[in-house]
Amino acid sequence: MSSHAATLDAHWDGGVSPFGATWQKTMMWIFIVTDGLLFGGLLSGYGYLRMAGTVPWPRQSEVFSIPFIALMTFILITSSMTMGTAVTAARLGDRKKALNNLIFTIVGGACFLGCQAYEWTQIIHEGARLTGALPGSELAVLGVPVHFPATFFVLTGFHGSHVLSGLVILIITAIRSAMAKTPAQGVEMAGLYWHFVDLVWVFIFTLFYLL
Amino acid sequence: MSEGAQNPYRIYRTTWILLLIITVMMLAAEALHMPRWFLVAFLVSFMFVKATMIAGNFMHLRHEHRRLVITVGVGILVTSAILLAYITPESASVFEKTLR
Repeated sequence: MSSHAATLDAHWDGGVSPFGATWQKTMMWIFIVTDGLLFGGLLSGYGYLRMAGTVPWPRQSEVFSIPFIALMTFILITSSMTMGTAVTAARLGDRKKALNNLIFTIVGGACFLGCQAYEWTQIIHEGARLTGALPGSELAVLGVPVHFPATFFVLTGFHGSHVLSGLVILIITAIRSAMAKTPAQGVEMAGLYWHFVDLVWVFIFTLFYLL
Repeated sequence: MSEGAQNPYRIYRTTWILLLIITVMMLAAEALHMPRWFLVAFLVSFMFVKATMIAGNFMHLRHEHRRLVITVGVGILVTSAILLAYITPESASVFEKTLR
């Protein structure tokens, strides 16, 4: 061994697993960080458009039904709880409990997506388009800035597409779990992604719907 | 025996209840028409509390190796801070130019 390699060895105490996690979990976390940065960029763009615009942002309760958004939040938080339970059950070898909770999570995710589809339908009927509010529509009468519908569609659309892909992953994981083909780590990876989707919603809910 | 070993599922229920309580508090603050500065500070603070609870308890980040926690936390927080630091003065400048 060269003296350079020996020096490196003396300072490197990470061994073969510097993060103390399997490569699957490490890669999943790296993916979550990069995906988190995507939403960080989108939320920053939203902040920029809102702060730089001279037309005041509407009060959200005038455009959205806040109790309905609260219901969506409740559904997503509850599905995260059942997902966490499924991950622990899978790790403890309780396949039945893991599968049941995976199914509860899938139902929660599907309900959330249904609520989002309803919300989109409502706001499109009110005149929202990606390029602004239709002239003469309810939203145009409210005087919403041109970027308001666009930021709504982009933020909730990107989040909704993550929920949809999370649902596909969960359905595959549930089917494979029922066939005893998914190890506990597979359920854990699906869980990490699902919790991330919930985490992103916390930011969208606060910054877009409440502030 | 630790609490987690007695009932490993309790942490999820506890976190779920706390998240719901915080969400109700946030909704109440918005509905009560609090002063804007208070509303912003209150909502943003509790947003981060909720995010920490989800990452720590649901995603088990508090049980992970310190290096992983630092990589994830610093990666997201520093990048977001840089974005915010550039965007806030830029948007204020655009806002003033548009008004002129």
